[in-house]
Amino acid sequence: MSRDDASEYIVRFSYWSRLQHATVILLFGVLLLTGMPQKWPGLEASQWIVDHLGGLGAARWLHRAAGVAFAGLLVSHLTVAIIGVTTRRTRPSMLLSRRDFSDAIDNLKYYAGILDTPPKFGRFDYRQKFEYWGLVFGGLIMVVTGFILFYPILISRVLPAELIPAAKVMHSYEALLALLIVIVWHLTGAHLAPESFPMDTSIFTGKIRKEKLRHEHALEYEDLFGGP
Amino acid sequence: MPRHVDTTQQTGERVAEGRGFRLRPTGHREARAGILALRQLAQDGRARIARCAVLALVSIAACTARAFAQQPAPPVPEAVTYCLACHETKDMSITLKDGSPMSLFVDVNDLQHSVHGSHLICTDCHSKYDQDHPSGKTFDSRRAYTIGAYEICKKCHFDTYTRTLESVHYDLLKAGVKTAPICTDCHGSHNIQNPHAKRAMMSRSCATCHVSVYQTYAKSVHGRALVEDNNQDVPACADCHTHHQIQQPGTTKFRLSSPGICIRCHGDERLMAKYGISTTVAQTYLADFHGVTASLTKNASADKQQVVVTCVDCHGMHDIASPKLKGQEAMKATVSAACAKCHQGTAPGFPAAWLSHYPPSPRHAPLVWAVQIFYTIFIPFIVIGLILHLLLHVYRMSAGR
Repeated sequence: MSRDDASEYIVRFSYWSRLQHATVILLFGVLLLTGMPQKWPGLEASQWIVDHLGGLGAARWLHRAAGVAFAGLLVSHLTVAIIGVTTRRTRPSMLLSRRDFSDAIDNLKYYAGILDTPPKFGRFDYRQKFEYWGLVFGGLIMVVTGFILFYPILISRVLPAELIPAAKVMHSYEALLALLIVIVWHLTGAHLAPESFPMDTSIFTGKIRKEKLRHEHALEYEDLFGGP
Repeated sequence: MPRHVDTTQQTGERVAEGRGFRLRPTGHREARAGILALRQLAQDGRARIARCAVLALVSIAACTARAFAQQPAPPVPEAVTYCLACHETKDMSITLKDGSPMSLFVDVNDLQHSVHGSHLICTDCHSKYDQDHPSGKTFDSRRAYTIGAYEICKKCHFDTYTRTLESVHYDLLKAGVKTAPICTDCHGSHNIQNPHAKRAMMSRSCATCHVSVYQTYAKSVHGRALVEDNNQDVPACADCHTHHQIQQPGTTKFRLSSPGICIRCHGDERLMAKYGISTTVAQTYLADFHGVTASLTKNASADKQQVVVTCVDCHGMHDIASPKLKGQEAMKATVSAACAKCHQGTAPGFPAAWLSHYPPSPRHAPLVWAVQIFYTIFIPFIVIGLILHLLLHVYRMSAGR
């Protein structure tokens, strides 16, 4: 392999993927900003944020608007993904397989020094899949519980009213979990991990260096260019 | 007759009192001596320190001993007896401009038993009057005299007086409502009592004007305890409405501050334990959607559109009844009605969305409890797992391949 070849880029993420990621950043930010003060109303900072957003009414309006937008994004993402896979236009590269579990174990063995080389990953490794499915299922939980809290009266006409406080607790904890995963996993992985420091730009530019792809997604590289 | 009054000494003593020496009505003289001695102690040179300290200690000890012995009220100061020489005459009176008579009789008993008894002399308040004082006929009516004279209280109680200037009562007085209460209407004049010791009495003074509110209050769980059992733990009027800076209670601002008023006692674990009341009432309210609204709206007085459900919407205000005595069914009906005030078209089951101040448990709200338990285990499990994975990764990278 020549030097030029090593610094060559290939397109890894479509415009649709990049747009979705940017939208999630924006919406997640707005939802956190308007949601966290409601989770911790006793804090001085919460009061400050709410006051500067124009009062609790405005903060709740923003939260609901961002929530509805997030629900729309989630539905369109799943629709595009399902249509793409069923019409065979895209490959279901995010689906979990048994290999992901053995990869996880092998990778941990490699970290622990039991194996000398890490396992070879496909288009998405198990860590990325974990995060993706976490986002999808977590997102679904947030959307469903969010709508229960948005329309409590409607819900109480069809379902037991105890669902409403349960949804509130679930919404609050799931949001906390999402925040913690984003901090300890996504942000550290995309910024602080030795491979990507200071920042992994693929999801913004859509491009990845061929060398990096060969290294981190060897199976995909072999698929695209043949040979290890 | 002694006419001279040492005002510097009196002021000095009042200042000392204002700094937190609160004594019982009996034993004032010793206390005065003790406090003065303490003042000396601070002012004089070292040579007198020891002498003053001994005097102070002895005086305070004597004062305490006398307070416990509950001796009869001390005689009034000599300067007072001078005025009483005339004003002890029962039928002494003048005719005011409106033709009504105004009694000038002063009951020495009232003076002796008032908190001011041995502190003040007549001319401290009735300062305009000299030996040959005018007859007082210059006033239009009895009320005009009272309104004209009450501001003398501020001579000593200046901070309290300034607070009354910001009250709804002073607004009324300013607007020309002559019956608006002033100091003496609630506290009395010659017979002023310690208002902290006579909370039931103070509440009854509110009742002079607020008759129906007081009657409702007197039947409430708090009112009955105060009025019938003289219970000092329960709120009297002033505990919620404040004493002097009384605000219009119908405003959004007052409404928003109201949970804080209830929580002051209902969040006090030691106080509530006495009555077997759970302090989770405060936490559960604050954790609920409406409680969050109240917490985050309290600064934003401009945000008037915000509807805030507070304690009083379900429990009532002056008519608060014990939910235990009221019974579960009656309480449910009250909550239903309270929900329906804002949430139109609710199903009969809707109030179950409110967990009735019970923290979630397998008995009360098992679903909410299960969700809570799940996440309190799941979140640390996931997060600790991810952190370990991360640390292993960093370890391997730093250890080299």
